[in-house]
Amino acid sequence: MKIIEVKDLTKKYKEQTAVDSISFDVEEGELFAFLGENGAGKSTTINMLTTILQKTSGTAFVAGYELGKEDDGIRKVNGIVFQNSVLDKGLSVKDNLISRGSYYGLSKKEIQNRLEPFAESFEMREIWNRRYDKLSGGQRRRVDIMRALINQPKILFLDEPTTGLDPTSRKLVWDYINYLRKEQKMTIFLTTHYMEETRDADNVVILDKGHIVSQGTPAELKSSYAHSRLIWYTPENAEAETLISTISNVFSYDADHYNIQTDRILTDFIYEHKEYIRDYEYIKGTMDDVFLNLTGKELA
Amino acid sequence: MKDFIGLTRRNLLVFYKDIFAIFFSLLTSIIVFALYLLFLKGTFTDALTGTMNGLENIVDGKHIDMFVNGILLSGILGSATITVPYTCLQTIVKDRESGVDSDILSTPIKRWKIILSYFTASGISAFFMTSLIMTIGLIILNIMGDMHMPAISIASCYLTILLGSLSSTALFMVIMLLIRSSSTSSALFGILSAASGFVIGAYIPLSRFSDSVMSFCNLFPASHITSMLRNDLLKGVTENIDSDIKGLDNGAFISSIREVFSFNAKSFGTTFTGAGSTLYILTIALVCIVFMTIVYNKTYKRR
Repeated sequence: MKIIEVKDLTKKYKEQTAVDSISFDVEEGELFAFLGENGAGKSTTINMLTTILQKTSGTAFVAGYELGKEDDGIRKVNGIVFQNSVLDKGLSVKDNLISRGSYYGLSKKEIQNRLEPFAESFEMREIWNRRYDKLSGGQRRRVDIMRALINQPKILFLDEPTTGLDPTSRKLVWDYINYLRKEQKMTIFLTTHYMEETRDADNVVILDKGHIVSQGTPAELKSSYAHSRLIWYTPENAEAETLISTISNVFSYDADHYNIQTDRILTDFIYEHKEYIRDYEYIKGTMDDVFLNLTGKELA
Repeated sequence: MKDFIGLTRRNLLVFYKDIFAIFFSLLTSIIVFALYLLFLKGTFTDALTGTMNGLENIVDGKHIDMFVNGILLSGILGSATITVPYTCLQTIVKDRESGVDSDILSTPIKRWKIILSYFTASGISAFFMTSLIMTIGLIILNIMGDMHMPAISIASCYLTILLGSLSSTALFMVIMLLIRSSSTSSALFGILSAASGFVIGAYIPLSRFSDSVMSFCNLFPASHITSMLRNDLLKGVTENIDSDIKGLDNGAFISSIREVFSFNAKSFGTTFTGAGSTLYILTIALVCIVFMTIVYNKTYKRR
């Protein structure tokens, strides 16, 4: 069942078109990833779908509510983790979450009841009364996610949730995201410029300069736009190159190895020449390759 | 209603948890007080005795002291009704700059409630802070001497402060609409806090300025508020001074000090009574409220 349906969604600022007639669908319960560099239009799209920005044209339905006509309905079913933290730095975690919960018409008791199930898994108890600006980056992100969950949303929008976090905090955030997705069956709409974060996505949309350049599952995108590589560590020699030419015409010699681009399954080939090919690596095509091939750019 | 109360509470918390914001909101009042201790008391006393024309030995010196103390308090209160709501309303600019407003806008809370919550929080802060200052000021003055203030005058002072807090808030809501960054709002606050003491006549009585400058200063609701507060705070003291004189001057001295210390705001040939000032302030506040309701709503929808 489609929980988000977007058709020809456009956002223009005077002369500049930030998002240009994009169309896509998101299935309920899936992890949907928007991939693109800064300025590609990812945040603008999220801001439109969460009613913060008005669309210029196009249609969108979020959880059955029409964008621009039933915005109050959309606001009730959305939760958002913004790219930059938007909680009050001078207030405690408790004051921040209670005030945000009240915007949804919830009482203090209702808010505490809703947060209780997450209190342990999010390690919230110890930081409940601490000022938000005294928390570490990872703790802040956890509070941001808790804030986004206050209204028990059907869809959780995550706008580059791990940008600027250290590897441990990134892992923690991803553990929470996976918990919400798998245990709570929540639809996750993610924007990121980290390729590896799209690996587990059910669907990926690649955005460049406000346009969708491609969309599909990671496997589909990789099979269409990325090539696997065989790295063979051996001295440069004509005999090796003759052998390589039986599997690929695209190869080069770098430092101490051949870099061979191929989409063939090489198990039989390597086994057949196991006496000769002793030191090697087989690297599957990555989302980095997909992005590079589609946009001509590399992401961080 | 929970959403509106919650957002108003949040706006109040953001202000009251920021010690520096509270300090700066009272900076002009503190400066007025400091200058009073340094030299303003002498200036006010000189201005007062300059109009006595031989009544020096008749009028009780304590009454003169309490009069200038009351003038000081009206100046402190008048400046607080300007700087407290302005500082509190800077939250609007900070929220816009930090993206907090996006978080608020993503929730089902109605847009008019967002605007009203900023207005309410600022109005409450200004009324609370200024009332607190007045209460402390009156306690101190009554320890120093007798202000001869009946309960009705005290109640009237609180009502005037309420009117001043709400009118300044309405005016500054419009100004905040035009400000895009915290640095701009801070710069404007610097100008405002420096100028407000002069505009309301806290440093120098407005009557000492030219007619055009006085008229300009009295365009601001806070100047009217300060004049109204002077009337309430000093009603008892001026009556006592008049009793000291026992009608020897047919009320000329009291008339002249009311003139010198601008007990009635004058602007472009119009002299405002208390009721006239109230009506003027309410009109300005109403215009600002209508303006901000239309423009803020459009601002939020146009994004």
